[in-house]
Amino acid sequence: MIIEIAAQGGFGGIAAANLHKTIDVQDQPEQMRQDLCEAFEPDQLARLARQPCGDCADRLTYRITVTDDRRTRSFTLREAQIPPDMLDLIDQM
Amino acid sequence: MCFSLHCSHHHPVACIVPPYMLRVMALRGDPRTAEMARALLKQTEKLRDERAELNRGGLPPAHPISGAFATAAVSPAEGLCCPDRRIHDGQHKAALPGKLIRSEGDGPTGIPDADTAYDAAGQVFSLFAKEYGRNSLDGEGMPLVATVHHRRDYNNAFWNGTQMAYGTGDGKVFRTFLELSVIGHEMAHGVIQHSGGLIYENQSGALNESIADVFGSLALQRALGQEVHQADWLVGRGILGPGINGAALRSMKAPGTAYSDDLLGQDPQPWHMDHFVATSDDNGGVHINSGIPNHAFYLFCAYLGGRAWELPGRIWYRALQTLNNPMASFSDWADQTMDAAIELAGRGSIETVMLRRAWKLVGIAI
Ligand SMILES: [Zn+2]
Repeated sequence: MIIEIAAQGGFGGIAAANLHKTIDVQDQPEQMRQDLCEAFEPDQLARLARQPCGDCADRLTYRITVTDDRRTRSFTLREAQIPPDMLDLIDQM
Repeated sequence: MCFSLHCSHHHPVACIVPPYMLRVMALRGDPRTAEMARALLKQTEKLRDERAELNRGGLPPAHPISGAFATAAVSPAEGLCCPDRRIHDGQHKAALPGKLIRSEGDGPTGIPDADTAYDAAGQVFSLFAKEYGRNSLDGEGMPLVATVHHRRDYNNAFWNGTQMAYGTGDGKVFRTFLELSVIGHEMAHGVIQHSGGLIYENQSGALNESIADVFGSLALQRALGQEVHQADWLVGRGILGPGINGAALRSMKAPGTAYSDDLLGQDPQPWHMDHFVATSDDNGGVHINSGIPNHAFYLFCAYLGGRAWELPGRIWYRALQTLNNPMASFSDWADQTMDAAIELAGRGSIETVMLRRAWKLVGIAI
């Protein structure tokens, strides 16, 4: 499974300030691999994307693309829709 | 509030019984009553979710903003002396608010970010309280909750509807977010939310951004005791990384000139409607097109001279309190500032003439 994350928006409005990461889950240590597979499970992402977003002043928007053997799926998630644990995981990636 | 849709004929009680009473009925009522209460609670929950969904983009829960509200917010209230600051350490994690490290009245922590957040929150509170008669962000003395060290290498600061959060920056693009104009900007988002809100996309979103920049800059100018021509009118001065070619994040005096760098590119802010940027990025360019109303405010202040947080700040604040239009365009906002200027400075006054001239110079006729 390959996870690609691109952020945009934020207080600065500067594209270069935002992270852009691509990782292959298979290359990660066992624990990280498990955490990533759970957090970035496409149905889980789709569920998060449907949550109400609330206040968004200066917040980031994440474009998350997950590719596995069968297909590629993309989701747009507001920072406020992503649980803190998952944001920590993104910061660790 | 109860919408007819949810006032079913089977459960007229849904319209009048508040949720806390329903919870008591669900616990203590006889089986039939308890079951009804549970059903109604579920409905209330659903309604709340739906409302939350409607209230996207910085728009607060719907409540009527009347003239009475505006007057109350503008005239000095009693017991308005003191902020209630609560600074937390996010410990580089995303969970908010994190660990409380400095409450109101506590001495410095020795953690620079936390102490700057504390001091700056006091400056911003003081601007709104002493100059505009507003008791905290909601006008009702709400605590000023802030988290520093939010996430890891996080290049952002934000207001999440209830609190401020500041990253440390990655040290490359940003070196910090703890700077008074930035902190004033984030806190002003709270004031805007509690003043009827401005939907955070396209022109209303760029107004939301611009008004946040205006009060952020005014908080800084007032703290430094600078008059219009002494101030640099920069937002986020010194927060860019050491290797970045730029003075600040935005310039209200000369939008589009704050930075010019190989990595960041050129500051994209326009100062005139002719260069309004149509984009779907950044919620429709909210951090880009804010340059236009930012520059109109700067021009107005420059024409008048003196202290920008006094009459110009009061006019912008009054316009925000009386706007009552979360979808306002730049033009709607310009009209509203004119109404406020007429109220505060008089019809036909030199101030109103200068205000009209300022808006005209950025391509907005009023
Ligand atoms: Zn903002």
